[in-house]
Amino acid sequence: MLEQELKNIWKNSSNTAPISIETDRLVKEFDTKMTSIQKTIRKRDVREISASVIGILIFSFLAYEIPFPMTKFSCFLSILWFVYVIFKFRKSKLKNTAEKLSLSLTERLAHKKQLLQQQVKLLDSAAYWYAGPSFITNIIFIIGLGNPADYNWTNQLAENVLPLTVNTKIVTLTALAFFYLFVVWINKRAAKKGVQPILKNIDAIQQQLDNSN
Amino acid sequence: MSNSQDTFEQLLKENKHKIYRICRIYAAAPIEPQDLFQEVVFQIWKSLPNFKGKSAIDTWVYRIALNVCLRSKMQLDKNNQKTARFDAIHFTPVTETVDSFEEDKFKYLKECIATLNESDTSIIVLYLDELSYKEIAEVTGLSENHIAVKMKRIRKKLLGCMTLKIN
Repeated sequence: MLEQELKNIWKNSSNTAPISIETDRLVKEFDTKMTSIQKTIRKRDVREISASVIGILIFSFLAYEIPFPMTKFSCFLSILWFVYVIFKFRKSKLKNTAEKLSLSLTERLAHKKQLLQQQVKLLDSAAYWYAGPSFITNIIFIIGLGNPADYNWTNQLAENVLPLTVNTKIVTLTALAFFYLFVVWINKRAAKKGVQPILKNIDAIQQQLDNSN
Repeated sequence: MSNSQDTFEQLLKENKHKIYRICRIYAAAPIEPQDLFQEVVFQIWKSLPNFKGKSAIDTWVYRIALNVCLRSKMQLDKNNQKTARFDAIHFTPVTETVDSFEEDKFKYLKECIATLNESDTSIIVLYLDELSYKEIAEVTGLSENHIAVKMKRIRKKLLGCMTLKIN
């Protein structure tokens, strides 16, 4: 078999299905798709930010309402943590949305690998930047809760919801510990099952590209 | 019709067949070559405003086509697994005029290319499209020498495989 024959087979392979494109209509369809993509991204952003904003509002109210100094302090820490989470998500998203498909194959693989490595780092370190700080503020909040009568504080709702006795404090802290352990496990699993296999694929292709043989 | 739409239309007219050929090699079930083709065209349209002219437009198109196809095959981007379906792109299957022997030969070629690794596949599809080593180097980011060394081995492997299949 001659090389030119191969090239002819290759060139003829696009004759099986003539392609006709209505450009005007296609551009309209693309515009619709882009609008839909942007809407989805906006909805996701709003969802993520609103969870933190709600958290900020709740802890602002608690900081204002609750008289216990240590608990007040933990509320401020929680507010700072929510602001940090918003910032962290925004920063990571900005990096991830930049798709550079017009790069050369090697550059695109390197770029994608870098993004995925950042993603793995973010997921693997969830214990340090997400679960840990959050759990610590929760501990300070709960331990700081004292006897409302000592501060002449009466709030029926808070008294019913907040763990004011030693027993309820222990139960709540244990439940929270398990919850945060679960969060850390979910994040680590996402890194291992979702991102690491793709990184391995990229490594394999990069090695193939580097090897001359 | 705007200027950018003119450019896009011209770009598609000149490149649609080469894009489709690449898509036929990379499409793996459940993704059809047509789906992949539509995704490549969408990405070209999306990236066109950022085309700075640093490379030839053909090189740029090949880069996008290969990156999208590889992304789909290796599932490099899980958010993009959903494929686009656009009514403005029509594929008309030709059943009568296509030589079945030609189609068989393409099937063999596809099978032989499938025995190559991802790196070699990306190089051979560009080579079969008659790109020079310099152009292949620009699309892949490898050096011309590296391409030449690789091509020597790929060519031998592919020709050997095809000869076996056809005979």
